[in-house]
Amino acid sequence: MILEDISTLLQKGKAKEVKILVQQALDEKITPTMILNEGLIKGMSIIGGKFKNNEVFVPEVLVAARAMNSGLEILRPALVASGAKSVGKAIICTVMGDLHDIGKNLVKMMLEGQGIEVIDLGVDVDADTIVEAVKTHHPDLVCLSALLTTTMMNQKVIIDALVKAGIRDQVVVMVGGAPVTQGFANEIGADAYTADAASASEAALAFLRN
Amino acid sequence: MKTIDAYKNDLDQTILSSKKMYDDAVAGCGGNISFRALPPSDIEIYNDFDLTKYNYETDLDAYAESLLAGMEKSFAARKDINDNFFPSIGPILGIGDYSAFVTGEIIFRKDTSWSTPCLKEIEDFRNLPPLGTSKWYKKFLEISELLLKKTQGTGIPFMRGFFSPLDLAHALRGENIYYDFYDDPDMVHELLDYCADATIKFAEDIYALNNKYNGKTKYGTWYTKGKINMSEDIACMISGAAYNEFCAPHTQKVIDHFGVGYMHCHSRAMYLVKEICHLRNVAHLWLATDPNQPRPIDHIEQLVKAANGVAIAIDCDTFEEIQNHYNEMKKGNFSICLPVKSIEEGIKYTTLFEQLKNK
Repeated sequence: MILEDISTLLQKGKAKEVKILVQQALDEKITPTMILNEGLIKGMSIIGGKFKNNEVFVPEVLVAARAMNSGLEILRPALVASGAKSVGKAIICTVMGDLHDIGKNLVKMMLEGQGIEVIDLGVDVDADTIVEAVKTHHPDLVCLSALLTTTMMNQKVIIDALVKAGIRDQVVVMVGGAPVTQGFANEIGADAYTADAASASEAALAFLRN
Repeated sequence: MKTIDAYKNDLDQTILSSKKMYDDAVAGCGGNISFRALPPSDIEIYNDFDLTKYNYETDLDAYAESLLAGMEKSFAARKDINDNFFPSIGPILGIGDYSAFVTGEIIFRKDTSWSTPCLKEIEDFRNLPPLGTSKWYKKFLEISELLLKKTQGTGIPFMRGFFSPLDLAHALRGENIYYDFYDDPDMVHELLDYCADATIKFAEDIYALNNKYNGKTKYGTWYTKGKINMSEDIACMISGAAYNEFCAPHTQKVIDHFGVGYMHCHSRAMYLVKEICHLRNVAHLWLATDPNQPRPIDHIEQLVKAANGVAIAIDCDTFEEIQNHYNEMKKGNFSICLPVKSIEEGIKYTTLFEQLKNK
């Protein structure tokens, strides 16, 4: 019941209440993994599905993600203590020449909502920075966002740089953004294209499970 | 730049048809369809123009000359296409100027620009410098006046669009505006009201300049007199209910000030067409097609129902699509744009469209 309440309140963006209930759940000796999966991740997955279907919009996703983060603040030490591991690790950014970050932020939140650790490199990120980040952090996924037709080609520049650095095979490259299409993703050698943040997190999970 | 009749054969007819469509739109009557060909020369100006090339402190003349030369080339190239296009001039500075007129700097890239959000806290708008005093407010008016001076006597109308209050608020506040909807809804209304007032003042000052140079010409104030062009791009991030609650009253305030609204949004926001078109005195909605989103041309029936007579400008890929949807489109008002490969193809399809209309 309390896990269901966490999920419901998270969907409503009630950060303070989620925080209190997560603490309460821990006090009731519910395992941290159970709170994460059946409370926080479940709520975020429902929001993701509704976002995909145009039932909720950007403000609702953002406040839900904020509520999830407030719950995670309480839960994280317990998760670490219990030895729970993240599902996987992703690097995310908006590519060079592009300052738009709402799409990138939504994907980041959805990935985190699935228990994936995300390293956010920000906006206007060049190929060298990505290559260095892959070498340093050893992520499973590299997620590249571009909003403009003029910057989407930089997704290819980054993929080419990963190939040149000899580390392309170490990561799954996912691309997205308003002008990006499946055809474009195929053309530039990306591993996946997804049309929205919820689909991105589903695809990421599928890659990590395989 | 030559006089406007050097760039368009059928000026009066084009204006008359457009006026009829917009009058019918405001009255909620359908039955008007107009055609626009989009030859490469219409967009080459944007490909060739490099916004980073100019020093906007010292080099405005070079900027204006280069911009007008590009526009002149584009108008001259499509002179023999008798579609609904009507030449106009105005500054092109990307989109950074759409909010930097309030405060802040513009970051230029070759073909676009941005301004950075400046409101750390939502209530910080109360501490912004008085409207009209910012660097880019003055600079924009200076550029506009230079263009108007250089084209004085040509009769070519001046054109300028604006951000809606929500688009402007988003540019000033950044993504935090989305949290504000939940955290401080009253303050969101205050910020949007400020943005509406800012847009009204900025537009009034620009229109006054246009009136000074073009007021006595036949077509010079066609795009400004009693009209306001606004984008509602950010609306596609929020629900219809949130649009009605937060945005509609402030967008309406701007429209009411000028008379009639000419709006723009994207096919991502198809679900909002009804909300935007049910604002009072909206005559026109340009619904740009987004990749990976529904194509408006495939949803004519839905658009006719939602538009309330408002003229919807959409694009298509082939002339066959226009033929296939023509009868359905006649139930409302539509302006349909077809990309063409050449001027000759533009002329051909404009003629075919006239034949379709007269069938």
